[in-house]
Amino acid sequence: MAKTLSRLQNPREWLALVFVWGAAALVTATFCWLLGDIIRHGLSHISWTFLTAPPENAGRRGGIGPILVSTSLILGVCLAVSLPIGIGTAVLLAEFTSDQSLFGWMTRRSLDILAGVPSIVFGLFGNAFFCKTLGLGFSILSGGLTLACMVLPILIRSTEEGFRAVPASYRLSAAALGLSRTTTLVHLLLPAAVPGLLVGLVLGVGRAIAETAALIFTSGYVDRMPESLLDSGRALSIHIFDLSMNVSGGDANAYASALVLVIMLLAINGTASWLATYGLHRKVVTV
Amino acid sequence: MYRFIHLYRLRMCASLAAFLVVAGFGTPESAPAQTITADPLSGKLVITGASTLAPLIAEIGKRFESIYPKVRVDVQTGGSSRGVADARQGLADIGMVSRAMKDDEKDLRAFPVARDGVGIIVYKENPVQVLTDEQVVAIYTGKITNWKDVGGKDAPITVVNKAEGRSTLEVFLHYFKMKNTDVKAQIVIGDNEQGVKTVAGNRHAIGYVSIGTAEYDELQGVPIKLLSVGGVTASTETVRNGTFPISRPLHVITRTPPVGLAKAFIDYAQSKAVHDIIKQQYFVPLVD
Repeated sequence: MAKTLSRLQNPREWLALVFVWGAAALVTATFCWLLGDIIRHGLSHISWTFLTAPPENAGRRGGIGPILVSTSLILGVCLAVSLPIGIGTAVLLAEFTSDQSLFGWMTRRSLDILAGVPSIVFGLFGNAFFCKTLGLGFSILSGGLTLACMVLPILIRSTEEGFRAVPASYRLSAAALGLSRTTTLVHLLLPAAVPGLLVGLVLGVGRAIAETAALIFTSGYVDRMPESLLDSGRALSIHIFDLSMNVSGGDANAYASALVLVIMLLAINGTASWLATYGLHRKVVTV
Repeated sequence: MYRFIHLYRLRMCASLAAFLVVAGFGTPESAPAQTITADPLSGKLVITGASTLAPLIAEIGKRFESIYPKVRVDVQTGGSSRGVADARQGLADIGMVSRAMKDDEKDLRAFPVARDGVGIIVYKENPVQVLTDEQVVAIYTGKITNWKDVGGKDAPITVVNKAEGRSTLEVFLHYFKMKNTDVKAQIVIGDNEQGVKTVAGNRHAIGYVSIGTAEYDELQGVPIKLLSVGGVTASTETVRNGTFPISRPLHVITRTPPVGLAKAFIDYAQSKAVHDIIKQQYFVPLVD
């Protein structure tokens, strides 16, 4: 205690302390202000009807039922495609490719470049490739696949870090016990790499669910209840964008939709970390 | 024991995959463009183009769907240029263009559905009441940069321009006989509502947006005001009676003379039955 006090008498220490606390306070305040603004404007409009009813009068009235369904389907397609490919590539990069190999180096660099590509580029690619070349048209499938391309780099790189964080002693012990590489992978490395996978998943889902640019040209603008994955379906983020930037008098429902989006994101992140703590991670601890 | 669990998991995965395949690919509606069947009023109509028109056409589409339950009207946005391109390439059955047709677009059939005026907006408390056309040009070309030169306060003017490809930009430039390269803008924006928000948030800004949008926002208490142009008040009323000079027709277009479903929809969109929707979206129905 005395030591801390004497430190604080030094103006340089004091300044550094103010700076660090100030920066943290600024970040928190920005978040709270943003969240408070959304809650203040949006909460009164949220009701069961809002969550289930279709939009009316270009979204000024009515709800977001079909849009929620479309958003979930797009996200579902995105995860169903990106998770297996992502984990597979991460396993290859972390477990079967040495640090020095040219192939590994090239794959990693291209993933890092892809991770920094603006989402509109993915949108145009998705429109050209999935909608036109593959003939999927404006559809939830096109949108989900485009998002999968977009989140894959993040997912792969952080899952790879997750695998690299597993101590080498795990692999050596498994080998000493005569376990096959597949068994080691499935029962030991994969559960142990879950925290890394989860970071990638949370970042990826966050990026995907907030995406507008990549979806406006792929999954489209139609706000009807989708009947199949080949129907066009408007994502929540596009709905918010359209209501706030293109439809006069759409602000109230834009705020309410934004609040739903934030809650959805928090729920997904919460479920993911719950899974990590109580679901998959326990497996390693009890082994 | 473990093996059983594995088998069980495998089966779960397999059935999940099967479900996805069935849910995704099993449906017959895979053709992206209009599917013509025996009954002309069934199938899917793909409409793309101007974001200004998209909410209007989507609402008309919904009412059309309620009359003909077998019809699906899919509206996508992206701007007038995209409406033209998609209609030409046959990617869309109908395109949306929120301006008059150009000379090099004579190959397309255009059908006006409504009108929209483009009005100049400033911050509500801006003392400037009127700007001559020459003053507007001087402000947008950077020859006048301070409000005091046009009778306002001593404050720099923030010029808000629309992004390339936007029809409001083309209508505005056409009326004032400017080229976009002459415009010295501080802020470049996209949709109408964004223009209103930009001016409402900047006391020294000047911008131009769809009159319907501006009129609505003014009524809602957004701190902006519409300036009159050439002595004519900017309002949906003056756009309707044709006295307001800066206005644009809102078109739907097709590559070939429309038949079947497309024709039925265009006829419906031009009919009196949708005038209430047009007014609801703050546009001006055509006088017939």
